Amino acid sequence: MAFLEQALNGLMMGSIYALFAVGMVLVFGVMRVLNFAHGVIFMAGGYMCHAVMTHVVAFYPLALLLSAAGGAVIGAVLERLVFRRLRESLPMQIVASLGLILMVQNGVLLLFGPEAVQISVPAMRTVVPLGPLGVTLQQVLIVVVVGVAMAGLHLFLTRSRLGTAMRAASQDLQAARVVGINPDRVFALTFALASGLAALGGALLGPLFLVFPAMGDLPLLKGLTAIVLGGMGSVGGAVLGGLAIGVLEAESTLLAPTDYRDLVVFAVLILVLLVRPYGLFGRRLRGEP
Amino acid sequence: MLSIRGLRAGYGGRMIVDGVDLDVAAGEVVTVIGQNGAGKSTLLKGIANLLRNREGAVTLDGENVFALSAQDLLGRGLAFIPQGRSVFPGLTVAENLRMGGFLLRDPVLLRQRIEAQLEAFPALAKLLGQLAANLSGGQQRQLELARTMVMQPKVIMLDEPSIGLAPQVVEQVFATLRTLAAGGRAVLMVEQNVRRALQASDRGIVLELGRARLQDKAAALLGDERVARLYMGKR
Repeated sequence: MAFLEQALNGLMMGSIYALFAVGMVLVFGVMRVLNFAHGVIFMAGGYMCHAVMTHVVAFYPLALLLSAAGGAVIGAVLERLVFRRLRESLPMQIVASLGLILMVQNGVLLLFGPEAVQISVPAMRTVVPLGPLGVTLQQVLIVVVVGVAMAGLHLFLTRSRLGTAMRAASQDLQAARVVGINPDRVFALTFALASGLAALGGALLGPLFLVFPAMGDLPLLKGLTAIVLGGMGSVGGAVLGGLAIGVLEAESTLLAPTDYRDLVVFAVLILVLLVRPYGLFGRRLRGEP
Repeated sequence: MLSIRGLRAGYGGRMIVDGVDLDVAAGEVVTVIGQNGAGKSTLLKGIANLLRNREGAVTLDGENVFALSAQDLLGRGLAFIPQGRSVFPGLTVAENLRMGGFLLRDPVLLRQRIEAQLEAFPALAKLLGQLAANLSGGQQRQLELARTMVMQPKVIMLDEPSIGLAPQVVEQVFATLRTLAAGGRAVLMVEQNVRRALQASDRGIVLELGRARLQDKAAALLGDERVARLYMGKR
């Protein structure tokens, strides 16, 4: 019973990690940009959701949508102002994203103060029976919303003109240019989409935990672990990697104190890097051991 | 159809192509030959506006299109097939063809154009669900041509269309280019396979150190001893 219960908890957190990791994989796959500031967009999603619920209308589904939309706008702006100029330089991308983390986190401290805030959605605390187990509506919502978002993303990437163009640009940028795809627009769209997903994640997690300036730090590390586990560049791998990490860390609490769950996850990361550096679902690159 | 005047293009601060003039008429196949580093590929990229560092004049059907983006040039009828395999390897043949018509917003028109290309390249019709990465070199080249033709360009520029292909497939590719020219298109290509390319061309241009040293009918270049010695390996 405890195993099943932790599996459900893990599935819920794993969905959030998957949402986070997929955004990073999209940005890296299409633009070759490693955006460590993805975590602050996740955090911004939590704050935007709180702001909408507190100051606009206390209707959680609308707050979720507006947070995701706000995250997409932030992403498009960041791509245009910061990352577009740094596409060719990985070290500069890392420096810029670390700088962005400091700027945004301190900006939030200035605006909202150091106290954590809570998104209050009493209805979502309702416990619904699931066989012998009980889960909250918020947990169900997280899994369902992430599932729908992933299915929608899959359909967008495989069926739509723009989604196919994104995949094309990720495979051969020069060929994409010669068939008439504007790389700048594709990059802006990719960043917006990835950031929208990150902000959605922050808004989904907000009612379960607190919203605070560093709330994106741990999902960033777990998201990166999910990417390494799944194989850099593989969207499906990132989803499976995220879910696997969520379940693994939840189940680990049955064997060791809760404080050790991050240790278990990062031990797995090191193990994967040693044994299969291209990830469980990734492909070995030429020259890679 | 396509007219280039005083084109200079290069990378960083260095101009590789240094003041090239050339014209390609409708129905004509023109081949640019030259040694490695002469600026052949840079010339095509300069015309297609794929380089930042460029100056000169590019006219398409009498309209100055020098400043237009690569996307806008394609919309006006100037298509470019870069060197090497430029299919999208992780997309299916059908998706590659759809990307060829990325600028077409009308889905019915896009479907009609793709169907027309499947008639012109019937081998592709059986491979629509295959990933482009799994096609042979010849099939990939056919896919590139079909994908390019979805936009029905007036001018097609190709960088080394025969590279990496078996001799039989090379013949098919050049025959296809002749067919396209016979249909009223202008074809400008860069080739290392000089003899075969000139045999399939109306005119040739010899590029040396970024300048057009010689322009003549293809038959005349084929009979030119210096060209034969320098570019066709004749002793």
